[in-house]
Amino acid sequence: MNKNIKKDFSRPLDVIIVEDNQVDARILESMLMDPPAIAKTLKIANTLSSAIKILEENEIEIAILDLNLPDSKGVETIVEISNRFPKLTIVINTGAYEDELGLEALSLGAQDFLLKGKYNSYVLNKILRYCLERKRSEIELKQAYETLKETQSQLIQSEKMKVVGGLASGVAHEVKNPLATILYGVTYLIDQVKLDDDNYNLVLKNIREATDRANVIITGLLDFSTLNKFNKVEYDIVDVVEKSLLLVNYQIDKNIINVVKDYENNLAPLLIDVIRIEQVLVNILLNAIVSMDKSGRVLIKIYSSVISKNKKELPASDKDNFIAGQKVVIVEIDDVGNGIPDDEINNIFDPFYTSRRGIGGVGLGLSVSKNILENHGASIVIKNKVDAGVIAKLIFKT
Amino acid sequence: MDCKKILIVDDEKGFTSMLKLNLEAIGDFEVKVVNEANNALMTAKQFLPDIILLDIIMPNKEGPDVAIEIRNEPSLKNIPIVFLTATITRDEVASQNGWIGGNIFVAKPSSLKELLASIESSIGVR
Repeated sequence: MNKNIKKDFSRPLDVIIVEDNQVDARILESMLMDPPAIAKTLKIANTLSSAIKILEENEIEIAILDLNLPDSKGVETIVEISNRFPKLTIVINTGAYEDELGLEALSLGAQDFLLKGKYNSYVLNKILRYCLERKRSEIELKQAYETLKETQSQLIQSEKMKVVGGLASGVAHEVKNPLATILYGVTYLIDQVKLDDDNYNLVLKNIREATDRANVIITGLLDFSTLNKFNKVEYDIVDVVEKSLLLVNYQIDKNIINVVKDYENNLAPLLIDVIRIEQVLVNILLNAIVSMDKSGRVLIKIYSSVISKNKKELPASDKDNFIAGQKVVIVEIDDVGNGIPDDEINNIFDPFYTSRRGIGGVGLGLSVSKNILENHGASIVIKNKVDAGVIAKLIFKT
Repeated sequence: MDCKKILIVDDEKGFTSMLKLNLEAIGDFEVKVVNEANNALMTAKQFLPDIILLDIIMPNKEGPDVAIEIRNEPSLKNIPIVFLTATITRDEVASQNGWIGGNIFVAKPSSLKELLASIESSIGVR
């Protein structure tokens, strides 16, 4: 640790001076570049707009910033720069320091103040290094906070699932019995009691359909309570995907969907519950199909991969379940449909979330799918694509 | 063809009366219903059914306990038992080809056609 700090204190920096007063800029330049040089890269801008251009085109880690420039005055200058370059360390260089302005500048993203004429190169070097370290800690803290926030929402999610699961098994059993009674009652009326009345038959048909629908919903609920019963065998994932496609063949034909397949050969077999993984794939395929107007396209890719060093391909909640360098098989389902509204994308795994309320969506598909994958030690990522549509990735350990 | 005798053991009165109505309407079956699991063994001994449709979760005695009593009774031990239950789903039943732990299961609600198929495969005829 001490060694690192020592090294950091002598490491040459990449610096920009944003200063419209040529004399002030020259003083800073000589402090930074005269041997032993503090900076290895030094850019100088005399306006905010030229500074932005330089920062966009160069790798700069620290900006020494005069607040009053020809095209920007006061704290606006900090706001503009820190919003555009959130990782940049900003040190204010001012001729007229006031405590109030100082505090405001710090709250807006600056790390410290230099008072013109009141420092030498030794003090400048020290301040720049301290500021870089503070900025680094600030970024780390921010990242940790984001991770914490995401983990917390995942925790809430998993608690919700547990509650729903517990409730579901009880409710499902109680509701299935009366449903069976209605089903056999209607079956008897349809099969045995013949009445020459169109309305009579229509009523029975409606009751029958409503019963079937209620049963589908209740079966979805029961899936929560039976999620611990798995029958895992080594199986070729390509075969499972193909079986799932057969199950949604009707919807594919009906909506005239073009299914494009891109499967890698000789993939390692996966230890999976075939029926459950089929259930997950059918859920995702159906979501893809109904999100598209007629004549859409679904691209299914299956390939092997390796988890990267920073595990960026995984959601925060699953990062601990995989190790960097782990071999995985990825199933990608890519559609060109309507996508998921931005304000809903964080809720898609919530029980009872659905975009198809009232038109056949129960909102259990994805939450059940996530649970099934968790049980397999696998992960799921669903994202809107930049152009149009959604890409779902299932990541299985091999 | 002989009329086959079916004993239904299930505490859901509405369900058992609807099922009896349907099975008897098809014409090949004589159906008896027991809604109180404690009476199942005695009724079975008197009725000597060809098959027993047995619910699993019942208030006073659970289905598997009734099944054990029946298996331990020499006059009943060879009668096929079909478990008829809302505790499992049709997918689960299908994934095991209808057999779980050596017994035939039918999920509630299943269509009459599915139930008849299980009855037929258990007693061989219809």
